[in-house]
Amino acid sequence: MVMKGKRILVVLATAVLAAAVSATAAFGAHRADPGITKTSIHIGGTFPLTGVASAYKTIPAAESAYYAYVNAHGGVNGRKIDFTVLDDGYNPAQTVPDVQKLVEQDKVFAIVGSLGTAPGLATWGYTNARKVPQVMLATGDSFWGFCARKTCQGSTKPYTSGWQPDYPGEGRLYGKYIAANMPNAKIGILYQNDAFGKNYIAGLNQGLGSKKGDVVDEEGFNATDTVVTQQVLALKAKGADTFFIVATPGQAIAALVTATKIGWSPTTFLANVSAIRPFLLAAAAAGANLNGVISSTYLASPTTQPNLAGMKLGKAIIAQYAPALAADWAVGDSNLVYGMGVAWTFVTALQNAGKNPTRASLMNALHSLNTSKDPFVYPGITLQTSATDNFPIEQEILTKWSGGATGDWHPFGKLLTSGR
Amino acid sequence: MRVRAAGIGTAAAAAVVLALLPFALSAYHQALAAQVGTFFVAILGLNILTGYTGQISIGHGAFMAIGGYTTAVLSRDHHTNLVLTMAAAFAICFCCGLLVGLPALRLAGVYLALATFAFAVSVPQVPLKFSKYLGGSGGVQSAKTVGHLWLYGVSWTTAAVLFVLAWLILRGRTGRAFRAVRDSEVAATSSGVQLPVYKTLAFGISAAFAGVAGSLFVMGTNGFAQPSEFGILLSLQILVGAAVAGLGSLWGVLAGAAFIGLLPTVSSDVPLIGSTHGQDVVFGLIVIVIMLLLPNGVAGLLARLARTRARGLNRGSI
Repeated sequence: MVMKGKRILVVLATAVLAAAVSATAAFGAHRADPGITKTSIHIGGTFPLTGVASAYKTIPAAESAYYAYVNAHGGVNGRKIDFTVLDDGYNPAQTVPDVQKLVEQDKVFAIVGSLGTAPGLATWGYTNARKVPQVMLATGDSFWGFCARKTCQGSTKPYTSGWQPDYPGEGRLYGKYIAANMPNAKIGILYQNDAFGKNYIAGLNQGLGSKKGDVVDEEGFNATDTVVTQQVLALKAKGADTFFIVATPGQAIAALVTATKIGWSPTTFLANVSAIRPFLLAAAAAGANLNGVISSTYLASPTTQPNLAGMKLGKAIIAQYAPALAADWAVGDSNLVYGMGVAWTFVTALQNAGKNPTRASLMNALHSLNTSKDPFVYPGITLQTSATDNFPIEQEILTKWSGGATGDWHPFGKLLTSGR
Repeated sequence: MRVRAAGIGTAAAAAVVLALLPFALSAYHQALAAQVGTFFVAILGLNILTGYTGQISIGHGAFMAIGGYTTAVLSRDHHTNLVLTMAAAFAICFCCGLLVGLPALRLAGVYLALATFAFAVSVPQVPLKFSKYLGGSGGVQSAKTVGHLWLYGVSWTTAAVLFVLAWLILRGRTGRAFRAVRDSEVAATSSGVQLPVYKTLAFGISAAFAGVAGSLFVMGTNGFAQPSEFGILLSLQILVGAAVAGLGSLWGVLAGAAFIGLLPTVSSDVPLIGSTHGQDVVFGLIVIVIMLLLPNGVAGLLARLARTRARGLNRGSI
C-alpha cells in the first residue's frame, strides 16, 4: 500500500512538473525581457569616473539626478528607473568586463549613455549579438548612426545608437562657415590622432568643398599627451591664420593657452566637446585670450539662457537631487545639460515603447523619434530618427566667445543642419 | 620549483579542480576565471625574468600588446584559427624579447627598469602611427569572438602547458644558469655561464609568455585590440602580481593572478569607497601590506609555513 502511495506521489509530482514546464514554455513567448519588472526598470552605463577622461564624470551624475526626479513623480508607467553607473576609466579592456557584468550578472534591460568611442567599439559586437540595447552612446562617432542598417565590422548593429550630432557633421558646419565668410583663410589643424580627430577633419574638408586647399598644416597629438606646444608652434610657423582645435578639454586648454603665450592670434575654432564653459574659464585663468573663439552647441545654456523652462527645471533638479553639482550648474557645465538631455530622451522613448516595454519596442521607439520637446537642447532643435536616419540630433548653432576671462558663449546666426 | 611527490599531487589536484570548476560557475564568473588564467600566464613569464634571472621589467604590458595585436590582426585579415594566433604570438614575442634583451645587456637595476618602461609606453603608440594596418585608435576587431567557456578552457589549458614548460626550463641547466645570473653575475661568468646568452634568453622566454597572455587578453576583450587597453598600468599590474606571487610556488602564482585578475570587479563593491576609487585604494593597500609583511610574496609565506610545520613535527618527535 505504501509503495502504491509513493508511486502516485511520483506520478503527481511529474505531472505538476510537466505542467509547470509547459506553462513556462507557453509563456516563453510573452516572457518579459531581463531588467524589467512591474515596478522597476534596471539600466546601466559605463563612464570614465576616473582617469584621463574623468572631466566627463558629471554626465552620469546629471543623468542619475534626472532619473531620480522622474522616479519621484511616479516613474515611467509606474516603473522606477534604477541606473547603475560603472567606471571603466575610458579603457576598453575595463569596459568589456563592466558591460558583461551589467548584462550577465545585473541583467539590465539596456545599456544607456555609455561614454567613449573605443569603449563602444569594444562592446557593440557583444551587445548586438545578445540583442541588448546599447543606446544614446556619449560619443559623436558616425558609426552609431550608420551601422544600424549597414554592415560594419562584419555585421549590422541595430541595437546600438548615438544621440549627439556626429563629429563629421560638426566639422562640416565649420568648413561651410569658413568657405562662406573667410574663403582665403590659411587653416592650421591641431587634432587628436584617432578616429575622433580624423572624423572632424573629414567633415571640415567636406564643408570647405572647393576651399579645401585652405588647409596649410595638420598637427596630430595622442590622447594621452599633456602638452601640445610643438604642434602649436609648427602651425604658427606654417603661416596659419585660422586655428582649428580638435581635442578634449585637457589638450584644448593647453592649445588655447599656448597660442596666446607664443603671441599668435588666429581665428580659432574649437570642437564643441571641449567648449564646456568651466574649462574655457580655466584656460583664460591660465592666460589664454578667448575673445572671438568660435564653436557650436546643440544644448541650452544655464548661464546665457537661464529663463528657459528647461534650464529652470534643470537647476531645480540639481538643487533637489544632486546638490553637490549646483556649483557646476552655476558656472555653466554643459555636461550636466547633456546628461539631462539624454535622460529625457530615454524616458520619452520608454514612454513610447508601450505600457510593457520590451527591448525590441524600446529600439522601435528610438528608431522613430520625432520630438521638439526636449527642454535641454537648444530651442528649436528636433530629435528625429527614422528607417533611413539613425542620427537623433542633426542641428547645431555656431557660438562665439565674448567677455574675456569671465565671458561666455553667445550663439550667432541661425540653427544649421549638420546632416548630410 | 622543486619536485616532490606532494608537489605533483597538489598540481594534479589543482588541475582537477580547474577542470571541474567552470561547471559550477555562471558564464560571467567563467569569464572572470579566464581572465585570472590570462594573468597567470603573464605573471609566470615575468617571474622567469625578474624572479629567477634578476632582470627587472616594467614593460611586459608591451609584449602583451604585441601578442594581442598579433591575434587581432591575423584574425581580422586572414581569419586565422585563434589558437594558431597564440602560437604566432609566442614566436613573435620571443623574437621581440630577444631584441629587447640586447640593450638590456648593458643596463641594470633602475636603468633597465627605465628602459623597459620606455618600451611599455612607446609600443602602444605604434598602432596609432600605422593606423592603416593596425587600426589606430579605432582598434582592430578579430573576425571571431569566443564564448566564456571556450576562453576558460583555452586559457587554463594554456596556463597548465606553459606552467609545465616553465618548470622544465627552470629545473634544468637553463634554470640554474638563470639563478646564477641573478645571484652573482661575476660568479656566474667564472662558472662558465655566458651572461649575454642567458640574459637575452630570459627576456625572450618571458616575452613569449607575455605575448600568449596578450592573445588571451584580447580574446577576453571581445577580440578587440586597442592601444588604451595596454597602458603602463598593465605592466605595473603584472609586476605587482609577480611580487604578490613570490617565487617557486604554483599557489603563489595563482594568488598573484587572482589578485590582479579579480581586483577591479571585487573592488567595485567595496563599501564606503565604492566603485569610483575602490580599485585604486584596495590595490594600493594590498601592495603596501604585501611589501611589509610578505616581501617574498605568497610563495614565501607558504615556504615559511612549511618550515614551521616541519619544525613542529621535529619537536613533536622528541
